[in-house]
Amino acid sequence: MQVFVPKTIAEALNILQDLREKAKIIAGGTDLIPHMRAGSIQFNSLVDIRLLKLSYIREETGYIAIGSNTTHSDILNSCIIQQNYSALHQACQQIAAPPVRNRGTIGGNLANASPAADTAPAFLVHNASVIAESTRGVKNISLDEFFRSPGKTALDPDELIVEVHIPVPEKHTSSAFVKMGKRNAMAIAVASAATQITLDSDGRISEARIALGSVAPTPIRATEAEAQLIGRLIDTQAIASIEYAVNNAARPISDIRASAEYRNQIIFILVKRALLRALEHQNAFIVSE
Amino acid sequence: MTFPIINCTINSKSIQVCVDPSRTLMDVLRTELGLTGVKEGCGQGDCGACVVIMNQRAVNSCLVLVGQIEDCEILTVEGLAQQGRLHPLQQKFAEKWAFQCGFCTPGMLMSAYALLIQNPDPSEQEIREAIAGNLCRCTNYHKVVEAVQETSQYLMANQKTIGVWYG
Amino acid sequence: MDEYSTLGKPIERYRFNELVTGKALFTNDIKLPGMLTGKLLYAAHPCAEIIRLDVSRAKKLPGVVAVITHEDVPGENSYFYLSGDQPLFASDAVHYQGDILAAVAAEDENTAMAALELIVVEYNPIHGVFDMREAIKPESEKVWKNRDNLLDHLTISLGDIKDGFKQADVIIENTYYTGRAEPAPLETEGAVAQIEIDGSIVVYSSTQAPNKDRIQIARALGISENQVRVITPFIGGGFGSKIEAHVQIHAALLAQATGKPVKIIRSREEAIRSHVKRHPFYLECRTGARRDGTITAVEVKAYADTGPYINLGPEVVGVAVMNSSGPYYTPNALLEGFTVMTNNPIGGAMRGFGGPQAAFAYETQMDLLAETLKMDPLEIRLKNGLGTGMQVPTGAKIRQGDGMRACLEEAARLIEWDKRKEKESKPAAHLRRGWGLAAHVFTLAYGRKIPDNAGVVLELAGDGTLSLRTGAADIGQGLHTALAQLASESLGIEVSQVRVISPDTEKTLDSGATNASRSVIISGQAAVQAAREIKKTLLITASEETGLPIEVLNLKNGWLTAEGERINMSVKDLANKSRRLNRSISAIGYYAVEYPEPLPPNSYPHAPNIYTFGAQAAQVLVDIETGQVMIEKLVAVHDAGLIVNPFGALGQIEGGAAMGIGYALMEEIHSEKGQILTDSLDTYLLPTAKDIPPMEVKILEFPEPYTPFGVKGIGEVGILPTAPAITNAIHDATGISINCIPMTAERVLKSLAALKDDQIN
Repeated sequence: MQVFVPKTIAEALNILQDLREKAKIIAGGTDLIPHMRAGSIQFNSLVDIRLLKLSYIREETGYIAIGSNTTHSDILNSCIIQQNYSALHQACQQIAAPPVRNRGTIGGNLANASPAADTAPAFLVHNASVIAESTRGVKNISLDEFFRSPGKTALDPDELIVEVHIPVPEKHTSSAFVKMGKRNAMAIAVASAATQITLDSDGRISEARIALGSVAPTPIRATEAEAQLIGRLIDTQAIASIEYAVNNAARPISDIRASAEYRNQIIFILVKRALLRALEHQNAFIVSE
Repeated sequence: MTFPIINCTINSKSIQVCVDPSRTLMDVLRTELGLTGVKEGCGQGDCGACVVIMNQRAVNSCLVLVGQIEDCEILTVEGLAQQGRLHPLQQKFAEKWAFQCGFCTPGMLMSAYALLIQNPDPSEQEIREAIAGNLCRCTNYHKVVEAVQETSQYLMANQKTIGVWYG
Repeated sequence: MDEYSTLGKPIERYRFNELVTGKALFTNDIKLPGMLTGKLLYAAHPCAEIIRLDVSRAKKLPGVVAVITHEDVPGENSYFYLSGDQPLFASDAVHYQGDILAAVAAEDENTAMAALELIVVEYNPIHGVFDMREAIKPESEKVWKNRDNLLDHLTISLGDIKDGFKQADVIIENTYYTGRAEPAPLETEGAVAQIEIDGSIVVYSSTQAPNKDRIQIARALGISENQVRVITPFIGGGFGSKIEAHVQIHAALLAQATGKPVKIIRSREEAIRSHVKRHPFYLECRTGARRDGTITAVEVKAYADTGPYINLGPEVVGVAVMNSSGPYYTPNALLEGFTVMTNNPIGGAMRGFGGPQAAFAYETQMDLLAETLKMDPLEIRLKNGLGTGMQVPTGAKIRQGDGMRACLEEAARLIEWDKRKEKESKPAAHLRRGWGLAAHVFTLAYGRKIPDNAGVVLELAGDGTLSLRTGAADIGQGLHTALAQLASESLGIEVSQVRVISPDTEKTLDSGATNASRSVIISGQAAVQAAREIKKTLLITASEETGLPIEVLNLKNGWLTAEGERINMSVKDLANKSRRLNRSISAIGYYAVEYPEPLPPNSYPHAPNIYTFGAQAAQVLVDIETGQVMIEKLVAVHDAGLIVNPFGALGQIEGGAAMGIGYALMEEIHSEKGQILTDSLDTYLLPTAKDIPPMEVKILEFPEPYTPFGVKGIGEVGILPTAPAITNAIHDATGISINCIPMTAERVLKSLAALKDDQIN
């Protein structure tokens, strides 16, 4: 199998334009190489993006730009992410184990589009967008529109993710990520939840984002549940009130890891815990009498 | 098809590799380079038996293509001992019987080594986190954790580091 | 013990240097000039007729040197050793996913795999048998035309079961299910075979039974056993998956067919799909007891799914059934085992060999009994515990049974059992804490009327160093270190003077398989015997040299002693002198397990007699919203007879308990109509370093008669009580009924939902 190692993005994009589905982009390889080993592949060349200088976390005006080749370990080493994007930090913490985190990239995690991708719910609540380039130009795709079906994204075969943007959060914003796996490490999520909450000066929720993993064909937002939280003071009643909406958003399947029934039973628990954990940072949780 | 020549450093030696770049690093280390200390337990990153250190970080060598290692520095278990002297980490593993069948041991050593590069004084939790990707079917991991703890204590007490310990 | 020089001491692991430097050669590290890569074609269906098998295109692929099928086997086309019913190559039908249809030898792996793709197989899938409870019904489809699905029905009885239940004030009745588990050693199975210049064959194999391999290789190749040499390299664990032959015979056949060395290494997926599994069991249990807690009757019907081949199915069921009344005395027992054939993965040996399945059932029964009688779970166990001299349902009487109570009491003490009610059982709204105890009984070695022996060759050299040749495979547990210690202790030299030569059928003697926790006992005793023989010779020489009577002489740490005082004459001096006097300073030790006690009439004829006891206790935290179980602490106390090497012995318990945690909470082979769905290590889950809690492990020593220095095997016991200790703790924490393992979070949550809200503690 041919392995291209382009030195510039332009070079990479030209190769992708020529080869399209016959070429696969390889970053960390932690998802791709097992597929190659299993023989379940249709491509015959690889485009290795490691020389394209896409490994960075940059503060821009109003947003953070994360290069697509940034590894999960790099994310964990970033103070900016740890301080302002707890959900993403916690998601990366719970991926597999260090040897996998040292190679797996956020671009790869999103492009692979597994319904269980750990960084996806976090990026969704952080309002992320994906910057993809091809010879035809640059696209800015909101992550809400990025995942189409298991393993399929909005990208064309000749497009390369170069960056992921996450807007700088408002004041009084905090987030969290909770994952349920079948063991404490090296576990694909049975279900996961991410939340991001912004409170106004009265301590009411001005913005709420809730994302669910492994309970639908793609990572999804629980928009109905989010809407129900707006304007509310956060208390046990408020959280309990969105249970129906959260469960309604989830439409899991049964697979080798868990039954649909179990996923349905726990997804709200995970959302609740993600909300509580996010609110811990804010000191804003009121326990009703 | 002619294969590209890939320059890298393995166990402090400059090496030129000229093989199919889509082969895994694990395979090439074990075959052409004769470094059979690197073990294959599953071939797809689930077990950690093949862990080596690449540019100071632990990686599953079965998940790295040899075409991706240009200019990289790789350390395998064969690179730990110096002049016939065991590395303190190896000594501690031996002292504590931090192995039984020994098949997971090279990968365990490399994950532990990589941890001590980043964190010379790790807590028990941090050690368990560092070896969480190394499956062991023979032990309960306790002796491995103890061996790593004692290694870090030894290095600190003697003003040595994981990479600079000889002498 | 201070009286010993090396026994009980934490001697360094023999050849540790190779393990920590990566120099140790495991089977896949062996490279021979001209070596070909072998690959096997496995069945695409678990149950199908083979209509057509055509390897002609594969043979023509450039780089392929040979392709063989059942037609090309010169000798017996079977895994011959126990029953010969499993073919090396399927011919007219396949009966499980791991059946092999062809073997390819090619110049490299890619070519071998491409060749497999070119083999044409036409199958006619037939309706298979996949549910053991259905399989046992008379109207069920048959796995084999000429045989019943019920392969074996074993009954062990004692006393009068009807009368026993009449005496009972309470009867606990329940059915338990234990899931199918996978041995999953880190090293998959493999072999390298090479034809030698003289036409003999050498096979390097990752095997627990080198001499068994030799027999089978000879039979399959149609050559004599003395033309086959089997050598074990370092072995990366076995846990039962490497007792029966795996790929070594096929590698040998390919070497014979090609005239070149051939290596076959199973991928992880191939390994999981084809090698033996821990039998899933249904255990229907009835336990009767008086109001004061005394057991009066135990009735068990144990059903095991053994797959389509005999393998060690009835043996595993035998061990489960023999031990199914647990470490408790019962005057009346009716214990039945049903070995059922299906087209599921083969059930065979896996660490514990039926013991863990039985333990889950009998220890859950005990807790239910305690609950019903409102007795403390510790109290009821101590009340009924077996002890020295007591009779068990097989008819045998326990030689050394003091360990039962001692281990249980110590485990209870370590977990602070008597203080548990004072501790916080509800640390948060969604968390519940609980404590569980479990004790076990187990027997070591194969049992009466089953060949069970080993031979060790010791050779003392003129410089006082010793060679110890053993045919018993060290599969990672440190057996060879233990043998070196036993031999050096018995002879009176330093353990550092011992060199262990590992299994090589050209140099070592048949010592059976490394299983049944038998090796340290049987090979150990053989080593001790040989050592004592050499020592006797040296002391005769010493007596002549010194003029002192032989009764006051001894050897210790390489020196002669007289009445305990060291004399300036070394073992080296004595060795040399003895040789000059034409005295042999080598010896062969041979030991077969002894059963001096006769069994009463109507006993189980294969009753073993080396009993071992132990107990474990767990403190768990259950998240009642998700079902997740966190083990906060696990303690394990086991009776090892005598510790040869504390690192090795404790290591076996630690590893066994870790495997037990997996068995209790996360390990289960999922299969769909005989096809394993969990065929990789990301779907079949082993505990990681983050899944193992703080563990306190202790060994108590109650020396066993008729074993070297009183040692007992300790390889399997660590896994026996772990699962029920944990599930009893989960029950204590939540009140849920637990009838099956693994207790995954999903199962816990389901059981919690089945409880009414007010019933959750």
